[in-house]
Amino acid sequence: MEKKKKKTEETKTFESALEELEEIASELETGELGLDEALGRYEKGVQLSRFCRKKLDEAARKIDILQKQGDEIISKPVKLKDDEGEIEEGEDVQGELL
Amino acid sequence: MQNPLTVYELSQRIKTCVDNNPLLSNVWVKGEITGITYHSSGNIYFTLKDKDSLISAAFFRYMNSKLKFKLNEGQSIIALGSVVIYDKRGSYQLKVADVMLEGVGEIQLMLDELKKKLAKEGLFDASRKRSFPFLPKRIGIVTSPTGAALRDILKVALRRYPNLEIILAPAKVQGGDAPKSIIKAIKELNRDKWNVDLIIAGRGGGSVEDLLPFSEEGVVRAFAESRVPIISAVGHQIDHPISDEAADFAAPTPSAAAEFAVQDKSQLSASVNQFSRRMDYALRKIISSADGRLSNIETKKIFTEPKAAFEFKEYELDRISESLHYALNEKLRDSASRLEKCSRFEKDMILITRSKEMLFAKGAELLEKLSPLSTIARGYSVSLDSAGRIINSVDKAKQGENIKLLLSDGSLGCVVNSVNKGDVLGKEKEKN
Repeated sequence: MEKKKKKTEETKTFESALEELEEIASELETGELGLDEALGRYEKGVQLSRFCRKKLDEAARKIDILQKQGDEIISKPVKLKDDEGEIEEGEDVQGELL
Repeated sequence: MQNPLTVYELSQRIKTCVDNNPLLSNVWVKGEITGITYHSSGNIYFTLKDKDSLISAAFFRYMNSKLKFKLNEGQSIIALGSVVIYDKRGSYQLKVADVMLEGVGEIQLMLDELKKKLAKEGLFDASRKRSFPFLPKRIGIVTSPTGAALRDILKVALRRYPNLEIILAPAKVQGGDAPKSIIKAIKELNRDKWNVDLIIAGRGGGSVEDLLPFSEEGVVRAFAESRVPIISAVGHQIDHPISDEAADFAAPTPSAAAEFAVQDKSQLSASVNQFSRRMDYALRKIISSADGRLSNIETKKIFTEPKAAFEFKEYELDRISESLHYALNEKLRDSASRLEKCSRFEKDMILITRSKEMLFAKGAELLEKLSPLSTIARGYSVSLDSAGRIINSVDKAKQGENIKLLLSDGSLGCVVNSVNKGDVLGKEKEKN
């Protein structure tokens, strides 16, 4: 049971978690839940919000450019100029993989 | 000599040969416009010629109304049409269905053919379109590392999601080598190794020719075959390369592709926070109302001063026992007082008895004194008439009457000799 739960937790997407979180907020706002039930839902909501925040921070900003090295294709991290999205000058990158 | 045909009959034979002949129907013809006439009916008549031949053409109003440009004398065009026989004048004509300008037109023609072919294969079917992950962690980009498209995509994507992971597969996006380069890049990013959630492939705006690689068959197929959901992001809004058809999503521009593919992180964070806050607030409200109910209960004396309830009972008990005591005492007191009263009464009785005895003694003494017996004993007598009545006056006795004298030791029967009224002692009055 516990294992199964964990698995669904892992495959859960950010989107569905966010949706469920909103549902829980709305449910609690109706004020129709009993205290026990409300606490249960709240706990679930806290889990979901934690999950969402974790998901949002999961990616670690990095920009790689693929390069051909002999017969291999390798990835090479590059730096960007400011926030303009332009690759820093002086970065030696190939224009294609052929 | 056989029976000669009428001209009409011959014309009809020609008509049967020409009408609906696939060689002459719906064909694309290229040539230059000459002798163009815009008729007031809306029909357009012109001659289409090249250096060797000419053919008259009719572009009827109901066909030409969709045309987006004006046909002019000397224009090189490609016309779509069918040959028809105009028997009344013994001539044939191209009945035009559509016109394209040459150059653009030629390319467009080729593209339309390719599009039709690939559509037939089902490459563009809606059922093939995959949905995109809502929150991609790592995106792949296929474009030129030096182009404006990359800059636009990175700018938008990183602004929306600062910690996004990006892998660029560089590709030439124009010129003869471009298709091969693009195909290679798309295929490379599809390898599990790079683990990308989606691919944006495209380039910035340019001439029709510049954008052609994205309409090249191999490239379009690479888009269609991409295992990873792919966005076609080519040129400007008005450009529609065939890659747009094959991709899972066609973005009008590279920036729009990034906008579509990458979520605005701050907005998502804000949503999470907002829902959490709403949840916190709602729960606090639920708890405080429960708390209110609880403290309502708690403030009840039984919880705040559990002894109080007993105190009250004790008090009540005290009161009851007190009143019981009181009642008992009262009763006792009452009984006592009654007893006392009784005893007092006894005393009274004794006193009374005593005084009565004294009175009685006195009375008796007095009575003794007053008793005629003692008087009689002292020598007095009582006279009674014959009826037994006391004769206390001489008037009550008559002479000769028998009277009785009571003495202390007996009685005397006497006869009244005389009645003498007057003072008994001394001055005796003479009886009359």
